[in-house]
Amino acid sequence: MVRRVIARVLVVILVAVFLHLAATAALTREKSRLETVLQRGKLIVATFSTAPPFCYTDDKGQLVGFDIDVARLLGKALFKDPNKVEFVVVTAEGRWPAIESGRADMGIATTTIYPDRAVRVAFTRPYVDSGVSVLVKKGSGIKSLADLNQEKYAIANLNNPQQADRSKRFIPRTKTLTFDTPAAQALAVRSGRAQGAQLDTPVADWYAATSKDEFEVIPELMGYSQNNAIFLKHGDFTWWHWLDTAVGEMRSGSYYGEYSEIYQKWFGKNPPPQKFYLR
Amino acid sequence: MRFLNWLAAYGPSYLSGLGWTALIALWASLGAIVWGCVLLLIRLSGRRWANLAVEIYVQLFRNTPVLLSIYLIYFGFPLIGVVWPAVICGGLALVLQNGAYISEILRGGVKAIDLVQFDAAKSLGLSGWGTFRKVVLPQVLVYSLPSLGNQVILLVKDTSLLSAISVAELTMNAKLLTEQTGAAYEAFVVVAALYLLLVVVLELAARSALRAVRWRPRHDAL
Repeated sequence: MVRRVIARVLVVILVAVFLHLAATAALTREKSRLETVLQRGKLIVATFSTAPPFCYTDDKGQLVGFDIDVARLLGKALFKDPNKVEFVVVTAEGRWPAIESGRADMGIATTTIYPDRAVRVAFTRPYVDSGVSVLVKKGSGIKSLADLNQEKYAIANLNNPQQADRSKRFIPRTKTLTFDTPAAQALAVRSGRAQGAQLDTPVADWYAATSKDEFEVIPELMGYSQNNAIFLKHGDFTWWHWLDTAVGEMRSGSYYGEYSEIYQKWFGKNPPPQKFYLR
Repeated sequence: MRFLNWLAAYGPSYLSGLGWTALIALWASLGAIVWGCVLLLIRLSGRRWANLAVEIYVQLFRNTPVLLSIYLIYFGFPLIGVVWPAVICGGLALVLQNGAYISEILRGGVKAIDLVQFDAAKSLGLSGWGTFRKVVLPQVLVYSLPSLGNQVILLVKDTSLLSAISVAELTMNAKLLTEQTGAAYEAFVVVAALYLLLVVVLELAARSALRAVRWRPRHDAL
């Protein structure tokens, strides 16, 4: 009789403990990437190494560029030290696994926002305007997309489906070659393997400007103006929100000064004004 | 389950890449073996400059990465006006590189041939080329069969480097699928399995070749 009562009491206690644990487990917040980064003391960023002027290695082997400086600005915002940033260099298709596997906290790598990409990774608001231009060899006589749209010509694309779709849409008759870095695309044009390379407008402009009369850019954009943004893993609202806030302040708020300096350094001109109604 | 769904949707797209890889591997390995035999013949000709020339060639290709040769032929040759399709460039680089390795493998096999056989060949009146064709080559190829099989397997894996020059083989296929679907692990696991399959097929072929050359008639049949 007494044993049965004790048994029942124990069962009740066990059930209560179990319910309590279950309830607190449901309420426990999963740790945000922001906390992990702050505890770690440095920011790990996935980027390219052959996409000037955004992210490339200079003569001394240092990783430099507009994207690199923006990432360092984020490091400064988090840790007051722009050097507390570690870079993980990836190729075009390696961007996504680097983020999804958690190897990098975020990525900044001349990555354009597309809705189908946004299914797999989260984008912040854009940190720089972009568009797609075609780089050609000077003296090739190709002055427009219509000139390039011939069967005897080849275009060097990056290995993502958006570029393949775009070249099919605008220059369907041109043959396509697929490479995994912008540097390989430019090399293909330089060596005559391809007659055009589909690159982000600032990257194409940089190659034309620094190549000593070897390259030029077709004035026509392939498509319209686009947005480049920082990308990160889905599901972490706090981390996304911090990054988005930081980018917003860079483009039109408290960090506009630092952003302007970086913009001037790499593009030689002022960024778009903070707000349309100011000056 | 998700993997099987992904496989059902994207599996067939691997077939063209597999075909290209198998084709390139086949022709490049045949070319490399032939080129290796040619290099061996030059070495065995006995002239000092020939030996030195082949030695320099072998050292050059052994000590540089094959990706370098691929880039040089694909991107560099057009600068001097020689523009070949990407498959030819990649195949040529693989033949030049692996030919160097194979000539070294065969050279080891030549040492296994008893010197007496060369005297016998000379006494029979065989020329240098005749000796090479009838005495050296058959024995050397048979002795080096395991190492040759190994080298061919390495060549199959090296074909993955051709994805850097826009050849639509297996590795390029995996990269494009990763970009398209975001399924990096699934894409590359399938590619690894397909390379394994190719190598297993090769290994079975090598084993049956070995069995074939070890064949001897029963001693009481003659």
